Parts: sequence; structure tokens; C-alpha cells
Amino acid sequence: MPIGAILSRYLLKKIGWSVSTILFVLVLNFFLFRVLPGDPARAGVRDPRLTKDAIETLRVRFGLDKPVINCFDSLNPIKVGDCGVNPLDTQFFIYLRNLTQGEMGISFHSNRPVADILIERLWNTILLIGAGQILSIIIGVAFGVFAAWKARTSIDYSALIIGLVAWSLPTFWLGIILLFWGSNNGFPVGGKATPGISSSPFFYQAGDIAWHMILPTLTYTIVYMGEYLLVMRSSLLDVLAEDYILTAKAKGLSTFQILKDHALKNAMLPIVTIIAINLGFTVAGAIQIEAVFSWPGLGGAIYEAVGRRDFPILQGAFLLIAVSVVIANLVADLTYSFLDPRVQTE
Amino acid sequence: MAVQTIELKPSVPSSPVSGFWIIFTKNRMGVVGLVMLVAIMILAVFAPILAPYDPTTSEGIQSSDIYNAPSAEHWLGTDDAGKDVLSSFIYGSRVSLIVGFFAAFISIIIGGMIGIVAGFYGGRLENFLMRFTDTMLVIPDLPLIVVIVALTKPSLLNIIFVIGLLGWTTTARIVRSQTLAVKSRKFVLRARAIGAGNGHIILNHILPLVMPLLVVNAILVISLAILNESTLSFLGLGDPTAISWGQMLNFAFGRGAMSAGAWWALSTPGFGIVWVVLALTLLGHGLEQVLNPRLESHHLMPGRPVVQQEAATETSTGKYHAAKPIVLDVENLSIHYVSADKPPARAVENVSFQLHEGELMGLVGESGCGKTTLMMALMRLLPAAGQIVGGKVLFNHQDLTAMSEEEFTDVRWSGISIIFQGAMNALNPVRTVGDQIAEAIKKHIPVYYDKPVEERVSELLEMVGIAAQHKDHFPHQYSGGMRQRAMIAMALACAPQVVIADEPTTALDVMVQAQILELLDDLRKKLGLAIIFVTHDLGVVAEMCDSVLVMYSGVTAEYADVDTIYNAPRHPYTQELLKAFPDLSQPDKRLTSIPGYPPKLDALPAGCRFAPRCPLAFDRCSIEMPKLHTLNGGHIASCHLLET
Repeated sequence: MPIGAILSRYLLKKIGWSVSTILFVLVLNFFLFRVLPGDPARAGVRDPRLTKDAIETLRVRFGLDKPVINCFDSLNPIKVGDCGVNPLDTQFFIYLRNLTQGEMGISFHSNRPVADILIERLWNTILLIGAGQILSIIIGVAFGVFAAWKARTSIDYSALIIGLVAWSLPTFWLGIILLFWGSNNGFPVGGKATPGISSSPFFYQAGDIAWHMILPTLTYTIVYMGEYLLVMRSSLLDVLAEDYILTAKAKGLSTFQILKDHALKNAMLPIVTIIAINLGFTVAGAIQIEAVFSWPGLGGAIYEAVGRRDFPILQGAFLLIAVSVVIANLVADLTYSFLDPRVQTE
Repeated sequence: MAVQTIELKPSVPSSPVSGFWIIFTKNRMGVVGLVMLVAIMILAVFAPILAPYDPTTSEGIQSSDIYNAPSAEHWLGTDDAGKDVLSSFIYGSRVSLIVGFFAAFISIIIGGMIGIVAGFYGGRLENFLMRFTDTMLVIPDLPLIVVIVALTKPSLLNIIFVIGLLGWTTTARIVRSQTLAVKSRKFVLRARAIGAGNGHIILNHILPLVMPLLVVNAILVISLAILNESTLSFLGLGDPTAISWGQMLNFAFGRGAMSAGAWWALSTPGFGIVWVVLALTLLGHGLEQVLNPRLESHHLMPGRPVVQQEAATETSTGKYHAAKPIVLDVENLSIHYVSADKPPARAVENVSFQLHEGELMGLVGESGCGKTTLMMALMRLLPAAGQIVGGKVLFNHQDLTAMSEEEFTDVRWSGISIIFQGAMNALNPVRTVGDQIAEAIKKHIPVYYDKPVEERVSELLEMVGIAAQHKDHFPHQYSGGMRQRAMIAMALACAPQVVIADEPTTALDVMVQAQILELLDDLRKKLGLAIIFVTHDLGVVAEMCDSVLVMYSGVTAEYADVDTIYNAPRHPYTQELLKAFPDLSQPDKRLTSIPGYPPKLDALPAGCRFAPRCPLAFDRCSIEMPKLHTLNGGHIASCHLLET
């Protein structure tokens, strides 16, 4: 079979898997909020600040007069209903239909559509995670390479200890400590921008955002650098004991050439897998960092929604995070298949 | 490749548990982690005794007590409610440990069951369970935990269940792959064959072997559960009736410790979390090192400097005479493997030989006789423990042992190149074969364009019988024979004078072996290469070689031209080796093998190293090491029987 066909079959398999995972997340997200107390749609209708007309509009839009799904009128408390209803006429289907139109409900707190609130926050989270990931990968990998190369020396042991300690740090606590230090040393106390900056020129605004990003990104980098360091070190130690490294040395290549051309690419492969697996943990870190630094991202939205019991936001943020992680995971998988020629023929 | 010939096995323990304990106590990280963990457990158990104040009551607290700095009364100051931070800290360890251990217990049970069932039963059930596991693994668990706890009541029990029910995915994956590995072992198959039920096999045969990995994984799961609990509490979703470190931080952070400058209230609870998680991480890391010890060295570790610590006691004057000039002259080379806690292992001692232009020398001997060590020393590729402790290697009259590492990189491949055994591992799996050959050319021959290099690569591949279009393929797309040919093409890339072929045909089938050997012999004649051919195959040696060096346990047994070795061997080892080899002229001859094995390097006999297995040994052999005797025509052998 030609390589292209095998590769595209691999691609299709991976994409299919991601799609089924997203569907699972959609179903989980629907039933979680209907089985457990605190159905956002019903709670929203009870909000005393809404007018009668508004409540009626919401009821129709979210189909609250309809059964939850075939056979069940309600799941908490459980009320068995008619199994013969048109599936298109249930809350589950209406939930799916609303999602395709970008409808995720109305925030209790601000009365704005959840989707509008979350989309602008998604970009802030991507900005923070992106900067943090890039820095932690670069620093972690660099330290890991250095430690493995200098294996069994004091450099290696120090790097190992630094990695283990960084891995053990609770993200939110490191954030608090850095914020405590930073606020006494002229750093902003949180947020994404100085109030009133939006009337300034673009570069001025960008600089202001970067200035606000320093401490959150530093927190992120320190915590996640530890794991990349440990994985890179151990992966490179394995690769450097391989026979093809001996071949490269026998060919007269310098240590630098061997590391660059023979060891790094092979040792980087586990890192790509770790990045994929870690995306879930990454989000956990983002929630904590955004909570501490009042960064207006999805994690911050979750933190605020928990405090305000703003369930529509909570539901929407969870959905958006889960779907983003699945997609990012797919991208990491495909990158892996691109980097490792062996995957394509498996 | 058999470069690491010395065994680094720990001494055999009396029982598995005490043996494990002995090895574990040598692991500094693991011990430190265990001590840290025990310390925090003591703190949790004896909290009411150790805490100076009772953090559950606010009796007698006044508004002036809020955020007081550390003092003699309150060693770590007071918090937002005027309570003693140290006392809350001590009580907080209880929640962390309780949630950590109980949640991890739930996760381990679920993950362990899913992993064992999936691995053991296989088929569709496995497919379904592992797909479910992978799906749950991708879904970020903290947001899910937050959502569920926010929707339900934030009680300690709830938190334990939610964290436990969502934390099993890594366990399931690890247990499954271990179960798969264990399932096909002989004793499991045997138990099945005698009719043991699945339940019996799982409980008595699989579980004990999965257990060690499960314990290491459990430690990781506990630490993640503790981190998740503290994060939940920090986010305001902790049990309001329990004092936990996360909640202390939530209160301090949310209730003005930042602006009050109360660093004690902000830093203390975090230290607790770091302490426990670090203790578990160190313990887990230590246990993993004990269960799964890594190789102690890698190929880029700096080699040991050459020392001339052993003056050559015996010099062999005999040189195999050939009309051509000598390219490689090895004189009294000795190599030790050095380790910190043991006396050096004498891997090669006083070996000498000469290689002439166009000569093919066979290097024979059983496994573990120092052949590969000797060859690696010629290329200065000894593992980090290996050290040249005496002798010279003259390549074109230049002493290779006296060169600096930088000077020596120029000799590698362009002067001496090597064909490794097992070409699958000797080629980098993620780079094309052509690319790996081109790399050697570019390193040693100054070229400024890719085209001549590409042409040279095609020419080399075609020379060894591989079509040039295969140069853009990866090693895994080659067959075993093709890989070995590609290795030969690579070895010839820089037109070296000497090629070392270290058992180039092991692991290949007989037809391919013959082709490869023929190819090597052709190339030698065409290109005038000198080849050192390391092998067990005496037939090949007889057919192709000009001279033969027989090594036994690191020393020269016999060295002579090929006719002498086959027709008039003088060393009993050579004679015994030949008896073990079929002779076409005497088809009725019985083949006999030499009983026993070569001695271990750390237990060498005092006298002749072959004496314990030698049929002709007499008293002197076990006391005194024989000298190298020079016989006529450069024939050398080391045996007391040759003394006249």
C-alpha cells in the first residue's frame, strides 16, 4: 500500500476518534447538569430578575416544557415519561441544536449570552497557555538535554531535584507567592490590562498586556518546565544508550552534532506525546493561574462562576475547554505521525 | 551490541522483601521521600497533641488578633480569623492525607480492575474499555471535578469520591500493558494448561507481578489527588467544616492577607502541600529506580583517559610477516573496566597484533572473551567504565592512544570504520539511510554541494547491491540483509584503510550471510582494505582470512597465519575450538564441544585462564600465567607446554 494511503487512513482513524470523543463530551455535559442538582436551564428560568416575557422566551428556546430525553421527563428527580415522543422534540436534541448555533444559555450573573462571554475569554486563555507552554518546553527541554548529556554528575542531580520540586509545586500557591512578591516590586496585581488603556495606541496596549502577562506566564513556566525536564532527561538517557548513537560517534561526529542530528529528534518524540496527554493538566494549571492573577480567561470564568453559582457559564466553559483539549490532542497526535516515520507504516 | 560485557547485578537477596529493602535503602531519593512522608503522617496522627491551639474553636479571639506576625506565642502568626496558623497547618495535614489516600484507593481499585480485565480477556472487551479509558484521559479532569463538586454538596466524602472516580485512567493503562506482558509468560500458560480458572490465574499469577508497578503508580495517584483536593479547596469548593491547606490559602488570599502583607498566612499552607507532594514524588521516583534500574552509562559520557599504569611484562616479538606495509600495529594493549566499589575487571590484557594493507584478520573466541572490547578500544568507543591501561595502537605509525579526542574524530571513519553487529539498532530509525551515509561523507571530506555527495551515496549503495532509489527510505523499510549491506556501504563511505567487521552476519539467515561475506571479500580485493573480522564462525575464517588471532578471556591464546592455525595449532584452546568445528575432509569425525564457560571477569583464575577447562592442564597451569611464546614464522601462543 502506498505510504500516502496508509497515512491518510491513520489520519482518518485519529480524526474519527476525536469526533467520537467530542460527542461523548457533549453527552456527558448534557446529562451531568441534568442528573446532578443545579440544572442551569431550569435555574435560569427561576432567576427573580427576569421578566415574565423573558422567562417564557427562555423556556421555549431551551425547550424546558419538553421531556429531557425519550422515556424520561426529568432525571433529577427521576420522572419516567413517554418513550414514543419525537426525539427531535426533547431537551437533548434542542441542546445539540442550540450548540450548533452557538447557543449555550444566558449567564445568571451578567445576563449576557454565555457564548459571547466565553469566546473572548477563550483567546485570553490560549494566549496564556501558548506563551507558558512555549517557554516551559524550551526551558524544560534545554535543561533536560543538558542533564542527560552530563548524566551522573552534579549538574544532572541538581537538574533532577529542580525538576522534581517544580513538579511538586501547587500552581496556585506558586502564583500567590509570585503575586505577593510582584505586587511589592511594581508588577501589576492582576488582570490583563491597565484600566483605561484601550484608548492608547496599539503597541502601547500590547506592551501593557505583555507586562501583565509576565507573572502568570512565569508561574506557568516554572510548574510545567519540571515535567518536560524530567521526561526529556529520561528519554534522552534512553536514546543516548542506543546503538545508533555509537554509530554516529564512530563516524567521527562531534558531541554537538550527535545531540542535534541523532539524539534530539528521537528523544523529542515522547515529549510530543506528553504534550498531548498533558493538555488536560495544562488546563488545570490555567484555571489556578487565572484565579490567582484575575486573568480574564476560561479558567477565570470557571473560578468566578463557582463563586457565583453561575451554572450556564460553568457548563459552557467546561464544554469549550474539553473540546479544545480534544482538538489540541488531535493536533499533537498528527504532529507525532509527521515526526516519526515509523508510525505511518504501523 | 555486546559492549557492556560486565554484569552489574546486585548481590542475590535472601528473601524478596528484605532484598528489596536493602536495595531501596541505598536509594537516597526514595529514603528521603519516605522519611518526609512518615514525618507528615506523624504530624497528622498526633495533631491534637502537637498543635499549640485548637483551630476548631474561636473562643477568646479578639479583633486585634487578626493577621498578627509570627511571635513567641504564635510561631507562624495568625490568620484572617485571628487563629494560630501553625495549629491550622498541623490539622490541615489530616485532610490532605485522608483525601489523598482514600481517593487514590478508589482510583487504584477501578483502574486496576479495568486494566487487568482489559489486558487479560482482550478482544472486544479490551477494545471498549481502552477506548473509554482513552476518552476519559483526554477530558481534562480538574474542570470536570470542579463542575461536579460545584453541582453537589462540597463535603469531604463527596470530594473523595469525585476525585477517586475520575483519577483512574493512568492506572488502567499501566496495569493493562503490564497484564499483557505477564499474560503470555510460561508459568501463566502452564497454570492455564493444568486447568486453573481465570479468577485463580488473575489473583495468584497476574496480580503479584502487576503489584510493584501498581504501587509506584498509586504513589503518583495519591499526589495528584492531594493536589486536586488543595486546588478545589483553594477555589472555594472545599468542605467548609474541615480545615485544609487549600482552604487556608483560599481564606488568606480572599480575605486580605495580600494587602495586609501577611506572608506567613500565604506561604505556610503551601509548604505543607509541597512537602507531601515532594515526599511522594521522591518516594515514587526512588521505587521506580529500584524496580526498573537504568543503564548506568550512555555513549556520550566522557571516556576515561589512557593511562600507562601497567608496564608490559612480556613482549611478543613475533610478527606475522607479509609483504605489504603495516597499517595497524597494536602493541600490548590492556583494557580494564573500572568501577567505584569493585576492583577493576581486566577485560583485555597484553594483546598485540599487526594488520597489513589488504589483510583480512580473523578475531575468534567465545562470547565474553574481550573481542568487542578490543575493537571498541581501537575506535576509542569504550563505554564510560572502560579504560585503556597500557599499550599502544599505532595507525600509520601514529599512536592513537596519545591523540586528543578532537584529533581522533578525524581518524574515525576516514581512517578506521566499523560495521556493527545488528544493523537494525545501529541505524537511526528516524533518518533515511542515504542521509546517514551522506552525513559521514560530509563530515570528513570537504564538499560544498549536495550533488556529488548524493552521487557518491548512490554509488556506494549500488556497490553493495542496493538500488540507488532506496537511499531515501528509512531503516525499518529495509530487510535485515539490506540493512547490513547499507551498514557496509556506510563503513566504506570515506574510503578508510581499516574496516572492523564486528560479527556482521549474526542474526541473518545463512543465504544472506554468505552473500554479505562474499561482498566483503570482493570489496577488500577491489579497494585494498584491511579488515578485522570478528566472528564465531571458524569456517568463514578458514575460507577468507589471512591471519587469525584467537582470544580467550581477554588474553591472546594464539596468533598466526591461517594455515598454521588450522593445520598446526599449538594452544589447547585453539585445538579444542577446531574439534568443535566440522571438517569436510573428515566427515566421520566426532564433534566435541568444550565443557564450561569462559571465566567471569571478576573471578579470573590465578594461573592460566583456560586451565579450568583445559584437557591438558597440569599443576603449574593453575598457579602461573603462561608467557607468550614465539614460535617460527611469527606464530605466537601462550601455553606452558610450549616451554622447551
